[in-house]
Formats: sequence, C-alpha cells, structure tokens
Amino acid sequence: MGLRDFLARHISRHVDAYRIDDFSIERPETVSMIKRVETVSIKPEISCTVSRPYDVAEITEKLKARAVNVKLSGRKVTANSYRIKRYVKEDVKTHRMKLARKPAVQRMLKQAQAVPVELPNILRSMKKRPDSVKGEAVLACYGPIVEGGVLKLALNKQRGTLLVWYKPGSRKLNVKHVYLIRRLGLGGKLEYRWE
Amino acid sequence: MANSTLGYIIIDGSDALIRGAALITDAKGFPVDFVRTEPLRPDQLSRILYGESFGKYAKEKLVLESLLDAVETDPQLWICNDPDILAPLRVNSRIKSVLLEESPHVPLDAAGHIETTADPGVFLIQANTNGAPFRAEFPAGIRPEEVQQTAAILTESAETMNILEPFARVEKALNFLASGVR
Repeated sequence: MGLRDFLARHISRHVDAYRIDDFSIERPETVSMIKRVETVSIKPEISCTVSRPYDVAEITEKLKARAVNVKLSGRKVTANSYRIKRYVKEDVKTHRMKLARKPAVQRMLKQAQAVPVELPNILRSMKKRPDSVKGEAVLACYGPIVEGGVLKLALNKQRGTLLVWYKPGSRKLNVKHVYLIRRLGLGGKLEYRWE
Repeated sequence: MANSTLGYIIIDGSDALIRGAALITDAKGFPVDFVRTEPLRPDQLSRILYGESFGKYAKEKLVLESLLDAVETDPQLWICNDPDILAPLRVNSRIKSVLLEESPHVPLDAAGHIETTADPGVFLIQANTNGAPFRAEFPAGIRPEEVQQTAAILTESAETMNILEPFARVEKALNFLASGVR
C-alpha cells in the first residue's frame, strides 16, 4: 500500500477498489467424496441334519422351526433355529432294575451257645498277685468266671487260653478267677484253683 | 451284682461279600440272642450306582438295619468295633452305643474312672481292675451323662465277664457257620 492510498484511507476514508480479472492461479482439481461401498450378503444358507438313530425302536423326532430376527451391522438378518423334540412312544417298555436288597437274617442261638468263651491269661496284668503256696507254681490266671454257671473248662495249650462252656439258664453269679497251678515235685501235675 | 446285658454288632467283609451278626450276652457273657445275616453279595449294578459309598450304605442300610430289626432282646449297651456303624447304631437302636477297643495306655486310678482324650467323643474308661483302660468312642454330640452311664455299665459287666471277648466269639461263630459244618 502506497502513501497516497494510506492518506486517502485515513483522511478521506476513500479506498480504491480494483477488479482483478487476471486469474493466473490454476483452479485446483477436485475429487468427488462420494464413496461406493461394495457389500457382500452375509445371509447364510442354514442346513440342519438330524440323525434318526432310534427309528428301529420306533422313537421319532419332531422338528419345530422358529424364525429369529437378529440385528447385525445395521441390517436385519433372519436366522432359522430348530427346536428338536423327541419323545418315546408308549409301547416302548422300561424295566425296573433290582438293586442290592436287605439280606435274610437267621437266628442261631443254639449254635452261638455252643461256642465257648475263650479267656486270655491275665496273670501279668494283675495288680495283686495270688499268695504263693509252698510247693506250687502259678502259671496262669483266667477270669472273671461265674463259677456256678460253668459246665466245662478246657485249656487251649497252644494259645495259652482257657475255654469256658456255660450252662444255659444259670443265674448264679459267684464270680471267681481260676488259677492254673503246677504242683512241684513228682509228675508236676497241672491243677485249677478257684479263688 | 451285675445283671447287665451287652449287645455286640459285627459287620465285616469287602464290597464283594458283606456279612453281619449281633450277639446279646447276659452278665456272664453267655449268649441270650444271636442273629446273623446271610452273606450279601452286591451285584455290579448296585456297586456302579452307589459308587464309593456302597460299602457304607450296605453296612448301615442293608445289614445293620436287618440285624436290629431281627434282635428280640434289647441290650443295655451296644458295642461295636467299626466307626462306620457307630452313629447309625445309636440312631436306629435308640440304645446307648459305643465303639470299644483295647488301648495301650497305663491303667487309670480305679475301675470306673473316665479320662478325656484329645479326640472329641473319645474317652478312656477303666472298666477292669486289671489291665489297660478301654478306648471308648461315642457318636458325635454325646452327652456327658451318657458317657458316665456307659462307663458304669462297662464297669459292672467287667466284674463278671471279659468285655471284648465276645467279638472273637462272634467271628468264630460266623466262620463256623460259613464253613457249612453244622
């Protein structure tokens, strides 16, 4: 801007306007912004294969088709679902299996009464040892035994136990211990002693 | 003098064959009632359906209940040697029940003495005047009075009989009967 233009603008408020007709600048190239989008249909072909393994057993399947609308990528896609219903015809028989049942019970009192009571030797665990008698050796002690009810005694020499057979129905309860004693001297005879 | 009756229950065997017996004795240890089950041979289907719990089921529901139903004389105390049947024995019989074993402990002060142990429901009971106390296991939630009453029964019975001996006798009887010799 020259001095004349400056003074004219500020003093007389006059501004010269010029028309420019000379377009020396080249127009820029323009490109359309409209895009075309290629689309591919995603609607699949749905097939349903149903096996029929029970045809021989007269079991049938029912298929019930149901349409479900699914919104996918802004567009509605219809998918088909199938509900499979199977039922057994009435003439197919079912079997009730028997599981383990309560066993039979036998009452065998006589056989149990025939088995003797077997008593171990408790001599070692006794707090109070029997009084020693001259000429005797105490080998074992068995008890408690109800003397009045005893039918028979027998020594199991292999196991060192005493077998006791009781009389059925005996109500006498005179409780004692039986000592197995060896007489020292000739023969060394074994004896029972009740105490 | 003792007038107690003790009941002994034995149920043994494997999954392939289970058998059981119940013996009721008088104060001398002499049998007053004895019942035994026929050997139970579970089929394969039962074992598959019940799985690992079959053994416990068979002992409790099949054998124990059968024995308790068949016994005609109710004892004052049931004694067993199998922890699997202790609680059902108490529940089904409604009679005091204890699992009794020998213990390696030194004798307690006197007959009738009871001592607690670190295990809940397990006590030492000195029933005999001689020898070690019994290890007595009770069903869960046992009342102290019932422990006392059980100890009193055991102490009274120990005056006239060997308390654990009938277990061996029942085993012998079962083996004898299983052998088929009558």
